[in-house]
Amino acid sequence: MVSVENTDFRTSTKWIYVVAAVLALVGLTDALYLTIQHLSGSSVPCSVTGGCEEVLTSSYAVLAGIPLAGIGAAAYFSAFSLSILAAFGYRSAAKLLLPLVGTMVLVSVWLFYLQAAVIRAFCQFCLLSAGITIALAIVVFLAWKKGS
Amino acid sequence: MKRLLPFIIILGVLGVAVGAVVYMSRPKTLGNSPASAANSTAQARPSPAPTLGPVKTGVPGADPPHTLGPATAPVRIEEFGDFECPPCGAFHPILKQMRQEYGDKLFITFRENPLPIHDHAIPAASAAEAAGMQGKFWEMHALIFEHQNDWKLAFDVRPIFEGYAKQIGLDVERFKHDSTSDRVEQRIFLDGKRARSLGVNSTPTVFINDREVPFQLLPPETLRVLIDNELRAASQK
Repeated sequence: MVSVENTDFRTSTKWIYVVAAVLALVGLTDALYLTIQHLSGSSVPCSVTGGCEEVLTSSYAVLAGIPLAGIGAAAYFSAFSLSILAAFGYRSAAKLLLPLVGTMVLVSVWLFYLQAAVIRAFCQFCLLSAGITIALAIVVFLAWKKGS
Repeated sequence: MKRLLPFIIILGVLGVAVGAVVYMSRPKTLGNSPASAANSTAQARPSPAPTLGPVKTGVPGADPPHTLGPATAPVRIEEFGDFECPPCGAFHPILKQMRQEYGDKLFITFRENPLPIHDHAIPAASAAEAAGMQGKFWEMHALIFEHQNDWKLAFDVRPIFEGYAKQIGLDVERFKHDSTSDRVEQRIFLDGKRARSLGVNSTPTVFINDREVPFQLLPPETLRVLIDNELRAASQK
């Protein structure tokens, strides 16, 4: 159970966690869009520049029957929840956020490798998600440095 | 209240997220839907909006084009396709179904538009064109689309296409020679030139009577409405 420790929690650190929550919310929207695309079976045309269809229909888009985008949405939702709790002074939430975002970065790097080397097509929504995760990691790391 | 606020925010976001997924995940695939023949009365069909784009003529493509149906048919459907593109593979049975339903009222043309993002799109287009030189373009076209998942991840697709050539009774040696011929290359180039002149930059791009069909109107139920509209317009002339 997360503990409430509101005292001496610096305002600037709180705002960093608010920024992290906003980033997580953008990531959640992106992941939800991809989840909806997957579940509804929507097709996107193949375009001269895009590779979304190749990535989203590849065997790597599903893990144990669960769409990868859905797992991403759950991760972003967790990051959002922990960031909000951290912004409200729940320090235990702040401590959990760092390993979560670290794991998300590792998964993003793996997915980037899959797109570049295995599927050989890039999906802009997946790249956006990777960018958000990196930005989230930087923000969370800054907040952790400030808070510790 | 302040203690509850973060939990209210979190629950609010969770509610919106779950609601969005549930509401927007209703199936709307490009593939066939069960509501095909049963909904085929004109009155029961919704009117698609927006409808077709403006009339575009563009430069001619490869001549003669690969066509099905009588040239005098009231509805001319021209598809710019890429054999490796999954939505083109999904559109293949839809067009087949339309042909079964409308028969000689349709004049269907297939134009090669292999996209540079697909490794095997040009070999696939070349195989179809080479089969066309022995009069079996549509047989090869069907095989390549129907087995898209069997070859799209293969390292070397040539033996697979040669297998298809054998399967449809082509002279395989001639097929192998034609696949790399200047004539086949020229046909793909000319179809691509026509695609660019019409502003085609994605596949499948479909034109009905020279007017582009928005991608979201390619599922069978909306495509039927568009064909019916054209048939109605033709009968009023």
